[in-house]
Amino acid sequence: MSIFAAAFGFGLVSMSVIALAAVGFTMQFGITNMINLAYGQVMISSAYVAYYINRAGVTIWVGMIAGAVFGAVFSFLLNRLVYAPFQRKGTSHLGMVIVSLAVSLMLANLLLPIVGYFSVSYQEHAGSLVRLGDIVLTNNQIAIIVLSLAVMLGIHALLRYTRLGKAMRATAANPMLARNCGIPTQRVIDMVWLITGALCGLAGVVAALNSDSFVIASGAGFLITALAAAVLGGAGQPYGAMIGAVIIGLVTELSAAAWSPEYKEVVAFGILVLVMVLRPQGLLAKRGALAAAG
Amino acid sequence: MSAQPERERPEGVEGPMLIAEDIHRHFEGMHAVDGVSLEVPRGKITGLIGPNGAGKSTFMAVVAGTLPASSGRILFEGEDITRLPTYRRARRGLARTFQLPSEFARLTVLENLLVAAPHHRGDSLFGALMGRRYWVKDEERLVDEARGLLKRFGMSAKESDYAGLMSGGQKRLIEIMRALMLHPRCLLLDEPMSGVHPRVIEQIQFYLQSLRADGLTILMVEHELHLVEQLCDSVFVMAQGKLIGSGTMASLRRQREIVDAYLVG
Amino acid sequence: MNTYYAANLLIYAGVDIIAVLALNLQFGVSGIVNFSFIVFQAAGAYAAAVLSMPPHTAADYSFQVYVGGYQLPFPIPWIGGALAGALLAIPVGLVVLRKLRSDYQAIALLVTSIIANTVINNARPFLNGAAGLALVPQPLENQVDTGTDNYLYLYIGLTAVCVGLVWFLAARIVNSPYGRTLRAMREHELAATALGKNPVALKMTMFIVGGAIAGLSGAILVGFLTVWAPSTWLYPETIILFAALIVGGRGNNLGAILGALLVPVGFEEVTRQLIRMNIGPPNLIPALEWVAIGLFILGFLWFRPEGVRPEPHRIFEGSPEAELVEHVRTA
Repeated sequence: MSIFAAAFGFGLVSMSVIALAAVGFTMQFGITNMINLAYGQVMISSAYVAYYINRAGVTIWVGMIAGAVFGAVFSFLLNRLVYAPFQRKGTSHLGMVIVSLAVSLMLANLLLPIVGYFSVSYQEHAGSLVRLGDIVLTNNQIAIIVLSLAVMLGIHALLRYTRLGKAMRATAANPMLARNCGIPTQRVIDMVWLITGALCGLAGVVAALNSDSFVIASGAGFLITALAAAVLGGAGQPYGAMIGAVIIGLVTELSAAAWSPEYKEVVAFGILVLVMVLRPQGLLAKRGALAAAG
Repeated sequence: MSAQPERERPEGVEGPMLIAEDIHRHFEGMHAVDGVSLEVPRGKITGLIGPNGAGKSTFMAVVAGTLPASSGRILFEGEDITRLPTYRRARRGLARTFQLPSEFARLTVLENLLVAAPHHRGDSLFGALMGRRYWVKDEERLVDEARGLLKRFGMSAKESDYAGLMSGGQKRLIEIMRALMLHPRCLLLDEPMSGVHPRVIEQIQFYLQSLRADGLTILMVEHELHLVEQLCDSVFVMAQGKLIGSGTMASLRRQREIVDAYLVG
Repeated sequence: MNTYYAANLLIYAGVDIIAVLALNLQFGVSGIVNFSFIVFQAAGAYAAAVLSMPPHTAADYSFQVYVGGYQLPFPIPWIGGALAGALLAIPVGLVVLRKLRSDYQAIALLVTSIIANTVINNARPFLNGAAGLALVPQPLENQVDTGTDNYLYLYIGLTAVCVGLVWFLAARIVNSPYGRTLRAMREHELAATALGKNPVALKMTMFIVGGAIAGLSGAILVGFLTVWAPSTWLYPETIILFAALIVGGRGNNLGAILGALLVPVGFEEVTRQLIRMNIGPPNLIPALEWVAIGLFILGFLWFRPEGVRPEPHRIFEGSPEAELVEHVRTA
């Protein structure tokens, strides 16, 4: 039983990491209608930015800020320079998926010659162990959980209580109507990409911190997990993504304890496929967001 | 009506072509269609009218099979088709057109019509692999038939143009011709005149009347009431998902509730 | 130009042409966004390998662990490869092709590709995990000495026969009324359904046929390379094939062949030449190749989404245009 208690603890950490990534990803889709398959690569790029700062002797907790800033700026530019023009041109949903795939490939391969093929990890003292019954976590892991909780609360406050948040929700529900009501949709969309980009960058550093080591290719795994949580919760629904992250975090860690840790992504993938086939609208369905084609 | 599907109706037997029994269609708590029962008489043009949001298009989609009914039955020529997917209903002779333009854009006008042909030796993997000689006779026959339709509807000159480049009215005509290539017994038209130039409306009216004269049954959703008056032998009125009246336009105009529903709804 | 270099070029070209023709049937003609295409090529390669290899307990082979090992002679491994591709298409297609909207389908297939690679990578006893299979027997190696130029000519010939066969089949499908139905489904699936076409049956059929052809391409490739590992079939390989269709022109076989020659073959060649000319560090060039492919995809999607050779405009004999223009015969 204690393996599972420990796995539960890891699940808490996992879900914290996944939530950061999934909420950003799902908000990009919900508000700007963009399935950004380059998301995983931006995450890993931010992780590398933090890595170089970390190598210079700076603590990773400051590196996280750098990663978030990188993610924000890069994502903002990505939308302004690539996604938005293609969308304005009338490219189909599918075309946009191919565009984001192309971007993902280009980003990965621009970085590879610079960062190399070998895996790296952060130099960070893991901190002393904390015991809660059979659950054993390091200080760092607890910090990750707390950080993630704080960010989730921040997102909630943003969406619920700020003007920007309300504008985001309106744009997500009906962009044309929002624009006609005087909401500066262009500005809202810019802010969305900045904020979700920051989330993406932050999530990348945190995910890398939570792994033994990482490499450019890790981006694909990050993407799948974030995608699975977002789809499970209902694409475009931030609260859904949080729920999805909880479920996927727990299930993948418990299955890793029960079978093998190498297949964590496979389990996430299995959940993704099950959801897509059985209930494609996810847990918190957004009306009309994912109606079958037609 | 018997519950057993009757595929072959004996010659000369009368009876409604299409029967809807207590159709309900709800989705996420909204009752788009709330218990509609009606019979579409054979060989006539029947209208389906009602204010916006009455559930007409949803009802048509259920009849065509695009949307499943939440409950109720659809009988076509006596056969229960409620569980059949759209393509099976089309093969049984129930054709439909769409509210929004749905032409095959990157196929030519002629190809659009040829696709519809139901019995083509070349329209299967086996037929394709057997090569041109296997299916060329069917193709030639169908090209002739399609060209005949194009001539009848005045679009012969456009046969090799991409359907996607046609005007709104021409696209409507293409859809009607396409549906006719199926040799349907019943045609479901969803707002065939909407967005169409008045001259073309006259043309479509003329063709629909000649099709009725040939024995085709038509159920038509339409907004323009004067068109409905000219074309339809009888009319059903829907509002808020329910059937609130039926009969000729003249008799309906005399019913207070109908007029009110239209003005208010 | 030495024979091996020429053989390498021609055989890869043949394999790529076959692969792009198959993807064209699925994506270009039928509108199925098969982002997991490379998995089917891999299935064919693995199947051909384990059908032709001796059991892993045999001497010389015991450093690998894998299933099968039936030592079957050519052409059975190649037929088995095609069959493996077709059989794999059935469960994948049944799960993914039915109720999902197209960008969801695309993502589900993409993720399938990534996960399949991870699973095979980690499951060592199945197909020797990350190390992959080596010492795969070559077709007709007992009849012709594989070290000779003659063997290379033979292999080129076998590949050419397969290219001809696949092109012939693809042409028959694309230029038939069946092909027209597939294109209609691609254009507007709902309208095609309303005309009596069964979209699930059509998509499954093309998924299986494409899967079989992909499997064959894998069998041809593994017979030449004699090795096959997960690193050979990462998900970006599918993207190269999509780029080939976007650049060359989808929906028609000539466009597909052109795309195959321009993108996978063209890029490979340029990369090889650049490496030979020692321009820049060796790691940089393959990476830049991918960047260039990405730029090509974006460029064509922006400026010329229909590709270099777009789908032909089909004009029938006896039409008003046919009097002015020659009757168009499509490839």
